[in-house]
Amino acid sequence: MNPTAPAPLRARRRRDQRRRPVFAIAVTVVFFVLLYLPIAMVVLFSFNAQKSLTVFKGFSLRWYEAFFHDNVLLGSLGMSLEVSLVAMVGSVVLGVALALGLVRNKGRLGTYAGLIMMVPLITPEIVTGVASLLLFKGLGITLNSGTVMIAEITFSISYVTVILRSRVAALNPEVEEAAMDLGATRWQALRLVTLPALLPAILASAVLIFALVFDDFVLAYFTTGVDPQPLAVRIYSAIRFGVEPTINAVGTMMLAGSITLIGLALAIPRLFGRRGGLDLISGE
Amino acid sequence: MTPTTATTTTAASATDPTVPAVRLDHVSKEFNGSHAVRDLDLDIAPGEFFSLLGPSGCGKTTTLRMIGGFADPTDGAVLLSGEDVTALPPNKRNVNTVFQSYALFDHLSVADNIGFGLKRKGVPKPEIRERVGAMIDLVQLGGMAERKPRTLSGGQRQRVALARALVNRPAVLLLDEPLAALDLKLRRQMQVELKQIQREVGITFVFVTHDQDEALTMSDRVAVMNGGRVEQCGTPEDVYERPESRFVAAFMGTSNLVSGVYRDGAVRIEGGPSLPVGPRPGIGEGSVVDLSIRPEKIWLSDFEPGMPVVNGVIRETVYSGPTTTYLIELAPGVTVAALEQNTARARMEDRWEGGETVELGYDPDHCLVLGH
Repeated sequence: MNPTAPAPLRARRRRDQRRRPVFAIAVTVVFFVLLYLPIAMVVLFSFNAQKSLTVFKGFSLRWYEAFFHDNVLLGSLGMSLEVSLVAMVGSVVLGVALALGLVRNKGRLGTYAGLIMMVPLITPEIVTGVASLLLFKGLGITLNSGTVMIAEITFSISYVTVILRSRVAALNPEVEEAAMDLGATRWQALRLVTLPALLPAILASAVLIFALVFDDFVLAYFTTGVDPQPLAVRIYSAIRFGVEPTINAVGTMMLAGSITLIGLALAIPRLFGRRGGLDLISGE
Repeated sequence: MTPTTATTTTAASATDPTVPAVRLDHVSKEFNGSHAVRDLDLDIAPGEFFSLLGPSGCGKTTTLRMIGGFADPTDGAVLLSGEDVTALPPNKRNVNTVFQSYALFDHLSVADNIGFGLKRKGVPKPEIRERVGAMIDLVQLGGMAERKPRTLSGGQRQRVALARALVNRPAVLLLDEPLAALDLKLRRQMQVELKQIQREVGITFVFVTHDQDEALTMSDRVAVMNGGRVEQCGTPEDVYERPESRFVAAFMGTSNLVSGVYRDGAVRIEGGPSLPVGPRPGIGEGSVVDLSIRPEKIWLSDFEPGMPVVNGVIRETVYSGPTTTYLIELAPGVTVAALEQNTARARMEDRWEGGETVELGYDPDHCLVLGH
């Protein structure tokens, strides 16, 4: 049931059913409360004037201040940004290439590659994490930000490919032929015509990957070295020795950042004035 | 299927009018074992408006794509102005294509779309601007230069696609059903315009269409294709008035097909009249034939002296404004259509009702006799 349906629709529904769907509304409310209450608590207590995590004693920005004076946390933030950026670029480049290959290779190879591509999406992340750790250890590779990047790229390619594949399939093959007809080589046609046409979807998937990787804990936990650690891992380590309200401030900022990025990913296609990016909501 | 060795041809001057702009030399194309095009031989003269006409799946688009370099012939050679280009990619051929979907670059403005090919060739910027401007005027898109293709109407997008190809001054312009997506009125208008533009720029046009009216209106010559082969190639008048096969007769507008036995210069319909068609060399006495005649070649009044006249019964009258079509039964189960013009000179008393017996006259020269 949709409580925000336009007025005429709501009126008609009331006439049809003679009573409001009380039970459905109640379930919806409980669902959203359970979903967002913990997050709301984190946001609220990040502004607490006191150290208490249970009693709110007035508004203050002291925990935000504390964060920006904590060199370990700042180091972690820097590393997380770096890892997210590299993973974003790496997985977008590989994911777009894979999407192009999968759509254009109609043979058996393309079909199987398309199925294998989906495996990381359904594999429990912890399995991927442990597997990555074992692989790096087995090869004698020292864990550091590089290993986190490799693991995150591996994990993210599938997302990019899933988003891009339908867009690539929707491209008119004649457009690339037209570019070649007008004197472009195959590579120029890709660069000058195909990639610009895919740009909204590419940007949207890039933003999504950045947000996913920045927030990621499981993979990062298994593949990171000791110092610095990605922010999510750092927060987890800190909590084990007693919760500082600084964590609330960090959490609130990560939340704000993620919401901004996801909002951006949804807005990009609209900014380009055409359908072309994510359709997370409509599910088209 | 005749396998052919690739012909080695000395490159001739592109301006030589005796060298065909396009030559298809025993070209075949197979897809997964089935032939899309079979052993095709075609010469298209410089400056000609040449149409490939046929139903969908007849191989006309595949033929066009082989000229453009988007499909590789399985056999045979493609020559442009005498030069063998069979192995060259599209960007190395002096041809340009107007695609059925227009295939415009949506992220570029109209001017950048049109200038795309010139920019690829490294033409200096001032010259690009000048040539793009002239082309925008030619296709009547003044004031649209900075618009994005998506903001244009279908007809305007079609003009952009045409300008984008023409601006490169190709030796041959390939058009793949460029008018198919337009509504009827706009299509008629674009047919006239396209023909005018072709005369103005003097470029060889190879035009693919499934619309026989379009092919007849616009072309210098038409190749009617069926099942990957050219059934007949000639002027619009040739293929319409003198079809050489049952397929061409049927495909080029409505045609009456009547079966009978050929004897003594006439086709005898079972249980009906004998239709004199004159001597037909090549048709055996007593053989079963199809007689084909177009509805507008049948006279219902004002017969000329010496014209064969037979009787029939009007079964149906279909009035459609400028013309009326009568369905006339010659023998049980054998019906022909006759088309009458409703001009000012047509007399009211020459209109018939169902059930009336009428006389049909025709010129034996307009009859096509096809052996089985």
